[in-house]
Amino acid sequence: MLAYVVRKVLSAVPTLFGVALIVFILFNTVGGDPTYQMLGRHATAKQVAELRHEYGFDQPQYIQFITYLKQIVTFDYGRSYATKQKISDMILDGIGPSLSLMIPAFLVTTLLSLGLALLVAYFRGRWIDRTIVIVCVFGMSLSMLAYILFGQYFFAYKMGWFPISGYEPMWPERIQYLILPGLIFVAVSLGYDVRFYRTAILDETNQDYVRTARAKGLSEGRVYFKHVLKNSMIPILTNIVIEIPLLILGAFLLESFFGIPGLGSMTIDAVHNSDFPVIKAMTTLDAMLFIFGNLLTDILYTLVDPRVTFE
Amino acid sequence: MGRLKVLIMALAVVFSGCSFKSTEPPNTLHVYVSAKLKGLDPIYTDDLYSGIQTSQPYETLLQYNYLKRPLELEPLLAESMPVLSEGGKKIVFRLKKGVFFQDNPCFKETKGKGREMRAEDFVYSFKRLADPALASPGWWVFEDKVVGLNAWRELALKSGKADYTAPVEGIKAPDPYTLEIHLTRPAYQLLYSLTMVYTAVVPHEAVEFYGKEFLNHPVGTGPWQLAEFNPSSRIIWKRNPTYRKEVYPSVGESGDKEAGLLEDAGKALPLADQVNVQIITETQPQWLNFVAGKLDALSIPKDNFSTVINEKRELRPEFKEKGIQLRVTPLYDTTHATFNMVDPIIGKNKYLRQAISLAYDQETFNDLFYNGRAILAEGPIPPGLSGYSAELKNPYRRFNVSKAKELMAKAGYPEGKGLPPLEYATLADSFYRQTAEYFQKLMEPLGIKVNVTAYSWPQFLEAMKNKKAQIWEFAWGADYPDGENFLQLFYSKNFSPGPNDGNYSNPDFDRMYEHSLTLPDSPERTALYRKMVDLLVEDCPWIFEAHRIGFFLSQPWFKNYKPSDLDHRTYKYYRIDTALKK
Repeated sequence: MLAYVVRKVLSAVPTLFGVALIVFILFNTVGGDPTYQMLGRHATAKQVAELRHEYGFDQPQYIQFITYLKQIVTFDYGRSYATKQKISDMILDGIGPSLSLMIPAFLVTTLLSLGLALLVAYFRGRWIDRTIVIVCVFGMSLSMLAYILFGQYFFAYKMGWFPISGYEPMWPERIQYLILPGLIFVAVSLGYDVRFYRTAILDETNQDYVRTARAKGLSEGRVYFKHVLKNSMIPILTNIVIEIPLLILGAFLLESFFGIPGLGSMTIDAVHNSDFPVIKAMTTLDAMLFIFGNLLTDILYTLVDPRVTFE
Repeated sequence: MGRLKVLIMALAVVFSGCSFKSTEPPNTLHVYVSAKLKGLDPIYTDDLYSGIQTSQPYETLLQYNYLKRPLELEPLLAESMPVLSEGGKKIVFRLKKGVFFQDNPCFKETKGKGREMRAEDFVYSFKRLADPALASPGWWVFEDKVVGLNAWRELALKSGKADYTAPVEGIKAPDPYTLEIHLTRPAYQLLYSLTMVYTAVVPHEAVEFYGKEFLNHPVGTGPWQLAEFNPSSRIIWKRNPTYRKEVYPSVGESGDKEAGLLEDAGKALPLADQVNVQIITETQPQWLNFVAGKLDALSIPKDNFSTVINEKRELRPEFKEKGIQLRVTPLYDTTHATFNMVDPIIGKNKYLRQAISLAYDQETFNDLFYNGRAILAEGPIPPGLSGYSAELKNPYRRFNVSKAKELMAKAGYPEGKGLPPLEYATLADSFYRQTAEYFQKLMEPLGIKVNVTAYSWPQFLEAMKNKKAQIWEFAWGADYPDGENFLQLFYSKNFSPGPNDGNYSNPDFDRMYEHSLTLPDSPERTALYRKMVDLLVEDCPWIFEAHRIGFFLSQPWFKNYKPSDLDHRTYKYYRIDTALKK
C-alpha cells in the first residue's frame, strides 16, 4: 500500500504542474492587471511602473512562473494584493468557518440522503418512491439563491428562529449562526444525492446475488444493509470523497449571504480582484485536496470491495 | 412534514438558548459596512469602507464640522486653523498639547502606556505616504506639492530603502507642537486632504513593532480602540479610555436643532461605549437586519426602495409609525460615460459626442436604475461644491433625438451611415450590463451600433487605462468638497493612467485650471471654475449623467445621525437612547 501511495503522490506532481501552468496563463493573460486597482485612479504612469517593478510584474513571464512554482513548494504565497493580509493567515482564518458550516451539513446530507435512497429503493415504483423522487427533482430545480432568500426572510426574519446573518468565532455561540445556512445546504444537496444513491442501490438490487440472498430466506433488512448497501459503496464513496475538497473551499453564496468569513467568499473575492497570490494559493490547495481525495477513494475501495487491490 | 418542523423548532430553541452571553454595554452602536476591509493602515485606505473604519482609531490635523453644510473645515489634532503665508506656499500648524496615542504594547519604554503625540510624528507619517516601498494609493495627496518630498522618494527608489531620518525640506517640526509644510506652489485644496485618513498620524513605534501586521493593529490618537477585527466578518470598537476631551458641536445648520441634532451639544466624545460593525455584503441581510432592529442605520438598498419610500419620496406610514427616521442627502459624485478622446473616430468628432449625449435619456435612466434617487448632471461638478451652478443648462443633456440626428448629419454620419460600431466597455455585473443594454437601445434611433464588452473590475481598469474601448461607464466620488477635485479629471497633465482617463486635452482649459490652483476659495476662483465647466459642456468629453442622492434610514433610538459621504469620523457623535431601545 505504501508503494501505491508513493506512486500516486509522485504521479500528482505533473498534475499539479499542469494546474499551475493553466492558472498562470489564465490570470496573466485574461485576469486583468492588478496594478491599476492597487494604486487607485490618481496613479500616474510613473507610479504604475514603480509598482510593477516592486511586485515583479515587469519580469519575463518564465521568471514569474518559476517564482510561482517556488511558492507552491514552500506554500508561502506572501500577501494578498487586495487586502495586504498574509495569505497563510487568511486561509487559516477562513478554514475554520468553512468547515464548521460544511462538515455538519455534509454529514447530515449524506446520512439523510443514504437513508432516503434506501427507503425509495425498497419501495421502488410505489407512491412513496414517486413522491420522494418528485420532491427531489423539484428541490434540485431551485437555485441555492432562492433557498437563501426564502430561508433568510421566512425562518430568520418572520419566524425569528435563527439569526438573519452574522458569525461568532466562539463556541457554542457560533452554532446558532450555522444552523440555517447548514439546513439550506442540506435542502439544496439532498435532491441530487438521493437520486444518485437511489440509482446506485437499484443497480445492485437487480443483481443475481440479491435474488439468491432472498431465495435463501434472508430478511429484506439484511439484504439491503448487509449486501446491497455494501456493494453500492463504490459509486457512493466516489461521490462522497469528491465533495471533500468542496467542503474545505466552502460555499460562496451561503458564506456571502450569511456573513460567514470562510474560504469560499475569499476565493471569489480574489478572482474578482485579480488577487493573483490568493488565487494561486487557493487553486493549488484545491488541486492538492482533489488529488488527496482521489487517493483516499482508492484506498477506501479496497476496504469495501475485496476484489480491488493495490496491484 | 410536521416532524421536520418540530425538529427545526427544537434545534432553534436549543441553540437560541446558548446565544450570546451579551457583554456589550447598552450604549452600543450596531452598524454595517457593505464590503470586506483591506486592513486598518491609513496609507492604504483608498476604498470608502476601509476609510471609514480606519478613521475611527486614527486622527488627522483637520476635520469637517459634523453638522454644518456645506462642509466646513475645523481643527482636530491642530490647536487652531493653520496660518498660511508666502502666498499660500507655507502652512504652519500649532498642535494640541496633551494628545496621547492609545495604550499599546508597542510602547515599550512606557510599558504599554501611550506616549504624547508630537509634530515629528506627522513628519514620519507623511513620509510613510511617500515611501515607494509601501506603494500607497494616497501618494497623490503630496505628490509634486511638498518641497523636497519627491526628491526623498526618488532617493528611496534609487537606494531601495527609504531613509526616515533624512530631512525633507518641506515638512518640518521646529518644536514638538509646531508643524510646518512648505509647498512648491499654492495648493489650497491640500487643507481638505489633511482631513483624509491617508494623512493621519501614526506612531513609528507601532509600525516598527508590528511590521507588516501593522495594518491589523491600529494605534492612533482617536476615540475608538480596536477590540476585535476580522476583515471579512466584523469589527468591534471600544471607547478609548485615554481619549482627550473633545465635545459635540454646539452649532449646526438650520433645522438641526428641530431634528434633535443639538441635544448633546457640549458633551464629551465619544457618546457611545462600543461600536459593533458587521460586514454584510448582500443587500437582503442588510435590509432584514435593519427592519428586525439589529442594525441602527441603513442606506436603503435599491430593491427595497419602494417598500419604504412612497411616490412623494417620503417614508411610508408603517415605517413612520415605528419612529424610523429618513435622511436624504446629496452625494458628492458624478456618474458619467467617458469618451476616449484619443480615439480617431469619437475623440476627434465633437458633433458625434454631442449627438450621443443628446440621445441619452437620463431622466428615464434615473427612474429605471436609481429609483429616481439622482438628479441630472449638467456638468462634472455636483451640487454643494464650488463651481456648481444651478443655472447651468447643458444644451447637450436635454433628451432630444431629432436634434441628435441633426448633429449626426453634421458629424458626417447621417442616420449612422458610415459609422463603424462603437466599442463600449462596462463592468460584468447585472446592473452595469443592464445600463449597457439601455445605452445600446438609446443609440438605435441614431443608427449607431454599439458593441458591449463586460469586464471584471481589474480588467475594466486595465481596458480603460489602455484605451481598449471608445466609451466606458464610470463615476467619480469627491475626495474633498471642492470643484477642483472634479475639474482635475480633465487636466491634460493627469492623462491616463492618471485620473484624466479619457485623455481630454484643451490648452485653454489647462491654462484656467493652472491659474485656479493659485487662488484661494473666492468668487474669482468660482467664476473660473464655471468657465472651465462651460468649455467641457461644449467639448463634451463625457456624457454627464447624474449626481446621486443618498436615502438613509435610522432607528428611533439612534441619535445624532447625519450622514455625509465625505466625513468618515462620525461614530464618535452617535448615541443610543437606551430607554427607547428597550
